[in-house]
Amino acid sequence: MPDTKVKDAVDKARAAVQELHRTITDAAAKRGGAVKADLEAVSQKAKAVSESIKGSLAVQNGTTKKHLAEAMTYLEATGKHAADGVKSSGKELQTAVRQTIADARAAAQKVSEAVAAKRTSASAQPAGR
Amino acid sequence: MRNYVAIVFDNTTKAYEALHAIWQLDDEMQITVHGTTVVHRNDWGSFQVDSKDTHPGLATAVGVGIGALLGALAGPAGAAIGAARGAAIGAASGGALGAVTDLGRADTRDQSRFETAWVLGRGQSAVIADVSEDSVGPIDERMRRLGGTVHRRAWSAVRDDKWFGDRAIYPYDGYLYPYDYDLYPYEYVPAYSPWWA
Repeated sequence: MPDTKVKDAVDKARAAVQELHRTITDAAAKRGGAVKADLEAVSQKAKAVSESIKGSLAVQNGTTKKHLAEAMTYLEATGKHAADGVKSSGKELQTAVRQTIADARAAAQKVSEAVAAKRTSASAQPAGR
Repeated sequence: MRNYVAIVFDNTTKAYEALHAIWQLDDEMQITVHGTTVVHRNDWGSFQVDSKDTHPGLATAVGVGIGALLGALAGPAGAAIGAARGAAIGAASGGALGAVTDLGRADTRDQSRFETAWVLGRGQSAVIADVSEDSVGPIDERMRRLGGTVHRRAWSAVRDDKWFGDRAIYPYDGYLYPYDYDLYPYEYVPAYSPWWA
């Protein structure tokens, strides 16, 4: 297998964001207190993933970096809406969950676009580099 | 190259095998998958979109959004019928994909060789995926082994449709799951069954 096919920080960030989305979509099927516990965890995890991405930005190329920066914006929104959900109830809670899911999905989209950009640039490099 | 891919199978089990195979290709770093879903058309012609969501309102949106995407995939942009029209028909009557295909067929020849008209027949299932791929080989070969028929349309062509893009009338990206999944018993499978179908 070529050495370009090694999973790195961007792949790991993607896995983390996918897990974040999975957690919040599963949480949406729950009710009341159970949802809030998950939302709190999502809020903290979103911050942690965003920090992790921030730490890896410096070594990324232009397109990958652009997508990761966009992902960070969505992750911040994910954390904010999740935190809002923890403090709310009823329709406001439902709205917060919906927004959290949408933001997490957008973050996942941007990170996967970063992964695609990185894989494309790696496969375009001459062998041995 | 980024494409929307629809892989059609004669049964649901194969469609789920294909779903997992697509993500396996991603894990092998041969392609990058941005999102997937599995769509069924039952024997009465109604569409069902697999979804983890339990909210009835969103279930309708899932149906409409994916219905629009199916239309966009089935009806490529052309002089006789634009992709937007295809999307409109797909959204308005998911069961009319065959008609969309017939209308679009003459123009399909002028499209990218990756753009293919297709029909989801009664009793069939399809995996819909948003993928980045350097070559069509990995997906085509893996799906051929599973017995699926692969259809593609360029992501950019679909996004150029006025129905989609950043201010989409029928958003669907949110209903393509960004990871491999299995449905669990508590999950709701909405039926897309418009009154006009």
